[in-house]
Amino acid sequence: MWIYAIKRIGLSVVIVCLAALTLFALLHLIPGDPVSIALGPRATPEIQARYAEKMHLDEPVVVQFLIFAGNVLQGDLGSDVFSERPVALTVAEQLPYTLVLAFAGLGWSALIGVPLGCFSAVRPNSLVDRITGVFSVGTIAVPSFLVSIWAILVFAIMFRWMPVIGGGESGDILDQAWHLILPAFAVGLGWVGYFARMVRASMLEVMGENYIRAARAFGLRRRTIVYRYALRIAILPTITLIGIGFGTLLSGAVFAEIIFSRPGIGKLIYSMVLSRNFPVVQGAVMVTVALYVLVTLLADLVVAWIDPRVRATL
Amino acid sequence: MRRFSLTRRQLLSATAGAGALGILGSAVPLRGAHAAGRLTVRFNSELDSLDPGYNVGGSPDNDILWCINPALVHFAYKDGQLTWRPTAYVDHVAQADPTHIDFTLKPGFQWTNGFGELTAEDVAYSYDRMKTSEWKGFFEAYDRVDLKDTYSGTIVLSTPFAPFMTATLASGTGVILSEKATESVGGKFTTDMPATCGPYIYDWKQAQYVRFKRNPEWAGEPPYFDDINAIFITEDEAAALAYEAGELECTRITSNTYARYLKQSPPHSKVTVAGALQYMWLGMNTEHPKLQDLRVRQAIQHAVDVESVIQGAYSGTAERSYGIVCPGLPGKRSESKYSYNPEKARELLNAAGVSGLALELKTLNNQERVLTAQIIQANLAAIGIKVTVLPQDDGPFWEMGQESKGDTWKDLQIWIMRYGAGADPYEPFQWFVRDQVGIWNWERWSDDEFEDLYKKGIQETDVDKRSDIYIRMQEIMEDTGAYVWLTHEPEVFVHRDTLHVDFAPSGEQQLLYFKDL
Repeated sequence: MWIYAIKRIGLSVVIVCLAALTLFALLHLIPGDPVSIALGPRATPEIQARYAEKMHLDEPVVVQFLIFAGNVLQGDLGSDVFSERPVALTVAEQLPYTLVLAFAGLGWSALIGVPLGCFSAVRPNSLVDRITGVFSVGTIAVPSFLVSIWAILVFAIMFRWMPVIGGGESGDILDQAWHLILPAFAVGLGWVGYFARMVRASMLEVMGENYIRAARAFGLRRRTIVYRYALRIAILPTITLIGIGFGTLLSGAVFAEIIFSRPGIGKLIYSMVLSRNFPVVQGAVMVTVALYVLVTLLADLVVAWIDPRVRATL
Repeated sequence: MRRFSLTRRQLLSATAGAGALGILGSAVPLRGAHAAGRLTVRFNSELDSLDPGYNVGGSPDNDILWCINPALVHFAYKDGQLTWRPTAYVDHVAQADPTHIDFTLKPGFQWTNGFGELTAEDVAYSYDRMKTSEWKGFFEAYDRVDLKDTYSGTIVLSTPFAPFMTATLASGTGVILSEKATESVGGKFTTDMPATCGPYIYDWKQAQYVRFKRNPEWAGEPPYFDDINAIFITEDEAAALAYEAGELECTRITSNTYARYLKQSPPHSKVTVAGALQYMWLGMNTEHPKLQDLRVRQAIQHAVDVESVIQGAYSGTAERSYGIVCPGLPGKRSESKYSYNPEKARELLNAAGVSGLALELKTLNNQERVLTAQIIQANLAAIGIKVTVLPQDDGPFWEMGQESKGDTWKDLQIWIMRYGAGADPYEPFQWFVRDQVGIWNWERWSDDEFEDLYKKGIQETDVDKRSDIYIRMQEIMEDTGAYVWLTHEPEVFVHRDTLHVDFAPSGEQQLLYFKDL
């Protein structure tokens, strides 16, 4: 198990390094002079020169990457081109909002989706199963930004039940929770369908196993069979899905963050790309990549730990 | 297969639950933005820097500076014309002659953080440092401030500079800083001001908000609102939704939303056009082989139906332009020498001996510009010119006419361009002088009379004479045949109808002057 963990960690480091190189290359392949694009015709030559110097645009690309990589290893993600604030500080301020949104979105969708999947699996081909199937596919098919807009129109504009913008008052947990409801609903709705379909499929497979039949023959209650025996095995692919989903939501929540004007990493990256504030883009994307890799690593390790069959093969 | 069944108890529970939700929903009070003494507005982009010498300018930097720091004058409108007004910090400010501006500060205004009183020395310091700052272009004519006493002085210009009061002093570049405080942090700062001296103090959270609260040390008349909450919302449509949900009291809106609100605005709302300091045109490269003949360019001028562009691309919400001087400024033209006349366009093409002409029309890849390009494409097709529309991303678009970025400028034929202007008519002309050929003068023309008038316009202080100068300059531009004037895109805001709003001409919010009606 330890060897497996070390190998996975090593692989994760390689992935992060490759991602950094790819990101750097992509940013510099974007056509156009970033200074002109960011500042337009009204910027004075002095502003343009300062901007180019700050972004090391006068250095060779290789040197720019080495400067960036060296700084990252020291925990320095650079500084904002305009405000000169440390990128690490900016990212640290925005990241919690995205993490909370991802947790909340995945959390409620798993709370609904997993039981829904179980419910469908123990009543295969019933009316409920079919309705659940349509609902699941429907929620998967609807993009989160559409759900966001629909949620705003109904719950905020029509009924005036929910707030539309912002992350809530700092320090006021209840207010922040109140502001979290609609965005979490928007990003999580599609995942309800994913979880339901994944759990249903896994459960159907597991429920056909001999040991489940043996448990029924022994007279165990159905609830015990489903939740203590079958779900424990069937949930494994879902754990991996949760890991991938969390990583996806770190950047995928950008639509919800923009529409709800909610602080977060996705909105930060989007704003900084528009203003060609490359250091912040680089830093924020690097952090997102690292978190994604970390979460999928943890998901893999959890699966290896839970499933003795996986451990036996390590 | 199990049959679906619903018991009476389950039905009653579900109905009661739904009813409770409905009652709860209607009982939950509207979580609106309007609370007594509080104003909630929007900033459409992130704060860059509050140092007037080293920021990018515009909103929200200027919006914030005007709330927290002194200035001698602010923007104002009189009879539809842009002018200036003295601020609460001054007893007196007046332009004594073309090169001297006298001012007297009111005593008693204190800088925060213990940096003492606002004095004339702070004014001198603030403007002296601008001479070597990144915005020194606005202070080229500035020479010095002669101090008379603690609170009085005279700004001395080396040459007359007519736009000085508006373009320089009333905008963000005219904001006054504390000498002691600024020097204590090394002479420059970004988002953390070392000291402020305004009706409000501010608190900033990146990507979230700027909050203004009453300054307890403020010695002047208290501001109307106790606090102002300005939320960063980058997307205009998201801001419009937030306004309709009652969470904002004032926000900028797009032309689409403007058109929708003209038909039916949200309840208790009013739409205000803050200004239209943008000028958009169809440009032509006079050095391109296909466009070197003046008659070809004039044919294109006569072929474009600008009214159909305004209706089609802007839903009728943009103002038609006849030049580069924007509404509210001296020199704004009310007509051009050419008009929409496809027949004349064909005659010009025939006279030039041109047929089967094919051109590439480049434009930024956004909805309004692409629609405009398509309408122009159809207009030119009607006179026998085949146009290929090439939408461009920001990157290649802003480089395509610049010689320093390669040879793309040689292939540049026609394009749709929009520049933003400042508070004085001289500003847009700076991009079309001889020195700008290959930089921002992509039409690549020059004219001696134009150069001469440019210098005269800056120094002329008589408004009517300046107006004549700028009208003549636009005529010269038009006579090159390289321009088809399109629109002045307005900066439009929606706000509650009980709110008095006040905007700078380029759309920055002068929040100090906002109040309830």
